[in-house]
Amino acid sequence: MATPANAILVPATEKGSYNPSRSAGALLKAQTLHLREALLKHLEELAAVLAIDPKSLKTEGEVSAYIHRATAILHSHSAKPARK
Amino acid sequence: MPAGLDNLKHIVVLMMENRSFDHMLGGLSLVMENGHKKYPKINGLTGDESNPDTNGAIVKVQPNAKFQGQLDPDPDHHFPGVDLQIFGDAPPGPGRAANMQGFVKDYFTQTNDVNRSHNIMYYFTPDKLPVLSTLATQFAIFNGWFSSIPGPTICNRAFAHYGTSFGQVGMDIFYILDPIPSIYDRLIQAGHTAKIYYYDQQSSTMEIVNLLKNQPQIFGTYSQFIADCNANKLPEYSFIEPGYNDHPGPGDGEILASDQHPDHNVQEGERFIANTYNAIRTNPDLWKSTALLIVYDEHGGIYDHVVPPVCTPDGYFAKPADTGTGEPFNFDRLGVRVPAVLVSPYIPRGTVVPGPEDPANARIFEHACIPATVTSCFLNGDAKRTVREKQANTFLDLLSGPMRPDSEIPFFRLGGK
Repeated sequence: MATPANAILVPATEKGSYNPSRSAGALLKAQTLHLREALLKHLEELAAVLAIDPKSLKTEGEVSAYIHRATAILHSHSAKPARK
Repeated sequence: MPAGLDNLKHIVVLMMENRSFDHMLGGLSLVMENGHKKYPKINGLTGDESNPDTNGAIVKVQPNAKFQGQLDPDPDHHFPGVDLQIFGDAPPGPGRAANMQGFVKDYFTQTNDVNRSHNIMYYFTPDKLPVLSTLATQFAIFNGWFSSIPGPTICNRAFAHYGTSFGQVGMDIFYILDPIPSIYDRLIQAGHTAKIYYYDQQSSTMEIVNLLKNQPQIFGTYSQFIADCNANKLPEYSFIEPGYNDHPGPGDGEILASDQHPDHNVQEGERFIANTYNAIRTNPDLWKSTALLIVYDEHGGIYDHVVPPVCTPDGYFAKPADTGTGEPFNFDRLGVRVPAVLVSPYIPRGTVVPGPEDPANARIFEHACIPATVTSCFLNGDAKRTVREKQANTFLDLLSGPMRPDSEIPFFRLGGK
């Protein structure tokens, strides 16, 4: 669609607004804590699977349970939400 | 069924950060045309609203809000601070009346500067916010949309996803202890589509670590949202998170936070809202089949004159140690009023949804209304959810008119940087 002649102009953001050196506020600090908490939970799951010696798995049922847990972890690592 | 509902295929919610209704849209009530108020039904400012400062001086609202630089340090919006803002000096306990007289005093606790504490009463004139003001006056503005809790971001955003914060009134991480599924779980389990679009991986998502951990497949970036709009692949329900921080972009690029959280530049948020609107507006198929809600998670400690009403409790309880006031909280009253605008070509121009100023016709909204509306629309209300969400108002009845002609629908042109 072509831009209509009577379109409402939205001004450019003021120059000098960009400031990655700004002190991070409470919200952003909370976000990092939450992400760390989630990573720790993730690590616990990973550690639990790594604690299993694959050589100890004898039956197809045991092997399939191991494969299920390992695949789920690997899939979550390979998830790519940032499709650009 | 009205044509708007009959054609509705997508609901998009854009949740911005930390600005009050009066701060962003209150100035609309002061716009005059031919000697009369141009928008008489909007419950904004009269210009006489005031708060006392710590010296006892009366501080009136002023049209002096700037895009950046006035609200640093970040105004307090944690539970005890909001309690002071709403109830003034009245100590916590039963029987006290809300008066919205503690905003300046509370901001003084952050600034330790009496003059600077007055900034909390500043508001934008509509010409400063061409995007939000235009959408509010061209489509539907809610006089009575409140944050769900008189507290900060995390717990308030939780209401938009779950219809509850599971007893949280602060910024702590929360875990889902009860089988109340998120709106995304509800939709996907029923064979529908839903996605949370966060700005990018440097900004990521805010309040939904539970979802991030367990369901990476429901997330996308804002670039993907734009691509999905262009390709007619938008899910039935989309929740958009703005950029939460300034960070380097591709090449030598600069990505500015677009969330409008103080002290991020409000203009950048205006551009983000405009870009989101344009992505829907410029696709004819999407435009006729989409409702876009723009809403703010909470007021960010900034002044609003409307007393938050009581509400249906969600069945949870916060202990005195968690509220920080010495009193428990039963989730039985709402937080401070926030801007909320609903956009669709089926909404009659200039729709104003009445709030507490019109008791006979008041319709009170809060963030639990979001999952309530989406559940009602796509799942016929069939989901396990809190009593609060079950009793929450829904807003799609506002799509009551015939489709408006293209010639009267605004379009935004973003000026170059």
